[in-house]
Amino acid sequence: MLFVLDSNEYIFAFGVYKKASCEILLDAILDAYPEYSIRIPRMIVEEVGRHLTSEEYREFIEFITSLTNIDEDIFVPFELGAKYEAIGLKTADAFIAAYVEWTGADALVTENRHFLRYRSDLPFKVLTAENCLKIVRRS
Amino acid sequence: MERPNVKKAKLHLARLRQLVSKKKPPFSGMREEEVITAVRKTREEIWDKKLALRS
Repeated sequence: MLFVLDSNEYIFAFGVYKKASCEILLDAILDAYPEYSIRIPRMIVEEVGRHLTSEEYREFIEFITSLTNIDEDIFVPFELGAKYEAIGLKTADAFIAAYVEWTGADALVTENRHFLRYRSDLPFKVLTAENCLKIVRRS
Repeated sequence: MERPNVKKAKLHLARLRQLVSKKKPPFSGMREEEVITAVRKTREEIWDKKLALRS
């Protein structure tokens, strides 16, 4: 199963702001790799990086590139983003939704309620870390 | 990319968490919802900058 983790998940999982479910989820995904894997766009890397020191950022890049490539934002078709803007997502959130669709990921994991509100309109699952953890633990 | 290296990823994750735990929490005193809002604001700022560079 392929997941895209939103920037808030990384921030919570690294302990920048502590949220146990996000920390446990990231550990559980690593333990189950490659049955559960992740993809990440440059945009999310930059967002997370804004909340880290340069030394922390270096570790983050080493961490993420040990698991997956960083996808450049430019790869994501513009039309996909426009589709999500049309259903009411803000432009930047629409890009993330487009990225998730483009990667063919099964779910976007996020604590962002704006995404959770639109989940019935999206072609992929939108899960909180807590709900995602239930799926990972069932396997 | 090369094959995923989970062992290496775990090592860097542990180092990262250790580094983060040593500093003063940047979101200290904030509620979770406020942190999510702050992170979303960062997203919008980055996105606006990217759009400005492309146009």
